Amino acid sequence: MTIEPEMLMAYADGELDPLNAKRVERAIAGDPALVQEVERHRALRKRIADNFAPVADEQVPDRLAALLKSSVVDLPLPRTRPIVTRWREATALAACLVLGLVIGIGLPHGPVSGGAGGLYASGSLARALDDQVGGADGTVKVAVSFRDKQGSYCRVFSARVTDGIACRDASGWVLRRTQQGSSTQHGDYAQAGSPDPDLMAAAQDMMAGEPLDAKAEEAARGAGWR
Amino acid sequence: MAAFENEMLALLPRLRRLARALARDAADADDLCQITVEKALLARGSWQPGTRLDSWMYRIMRNAWIDTARARGRASETFVDAEAGVGIGSDGGGEARVALGEVEAAMRRLPDEQREAVALVLVEGLAYKEAAEVLDIPMGTLTSRLVRGRQALMLDLGEAA
Repeated sequence: MTIEPEMLMAYADGELDPLNAKRVERAIAGDPALVQEVERHRALRKRIADNFAPVADEQVPDRLAALLKSSVVDLPLPRTRPIVTRWREATALAACLVLGLVIGIGLPHGPVSGGAGGLYASGSLARALDDQVGGADGTVKVAVSFRDKQGSYCRVFSARVTDGIACRDASGWVLRRTQQGSSTQHGDYAQAGSPDPDLMAAAQDMMAGEPLDAKAEEAARGAGWR
Repeated sequence: MAAFENEMLALLPRLRRLARALARDAADADDLCQITVEKALLARGSWQPGTRLDSWMYRIMRNAWIDTARARGRASETFVDAEAGVGIGSDGGGEARVALGEVEAAMRRLPDEQREAVALVLVEGLAYKEAAEVLDIPMGTLTSRLVRGRQALMLDLGEAA
């Protein structure tokens, strides 16, 4: 009676149901080579497992734990971020869908309106971007303000429907990047108002120099962000 | 800290272990962990509470690994492997890539599809069924990759008859 290599391996791993295990046991009873093969499987399994086991006992590097421990992202971010991958585009697409929905439904005082240069903040979002001090609490929260490489003022915000980065042009606040709002997530882990690390990384990439400090932000606000 | 982050934090040691079994070296493994955590934080709306967070995160890590491995290309990986073998034990510099042990080197010579099966079952101790779900392949495919991977490792590590 032949025993498939897969079945012998599964027997060595204790993966077989009792019936098949019995079959294998009957077969190997008369075949020392099969017994040896089972032992080799178990020896290899132990060797591989033992080799990597110590990794789980190592202290987790700070940079990994920090991703989960901090609810506030400090700028500037450490430049250890991996290469941008396609999933970010997917996230942006998903956020566009959220936005499209908002526009499509046509909320009377929605946070977004269409304009010649793209999507613009409107209503309470536009007012918050104009007037609100960075870090202040509200239905909209502005996390950080900065100048992009073209010299426009930009602000990273969290709001009910969408989080994003808006930059000021002649017509208003253009939404340069958006994603699903932190406050629309469900469950007790939602941390409204703490910008997504991904969003902050995007801001970091757009930024010329350092984020604005309180004084520079005050001056920019006083000048209408132009 | 919220419950979701706490659970993920508790999983980090195991995620690092899986990453070490998949990635090219310890530095790449921690990069892979970072990508995985970032993706998981972004995608947490798609995690169903009540289902296993570890399987969900293993799947994210595995997909991220496939993406980065493809981006890097197989040719350069082979080259670095050869180099790493020469450097064993010769350099204690802080920034130097950690030299690979015999088992790591043998793991890296496996085709990706066998390596991921071996990593999930032998390193992480997943049941075949769980590993097949993480990899989104039928059980039969999982066992056939696993058995081929193990036979290659036995040969490579001198444990064959």
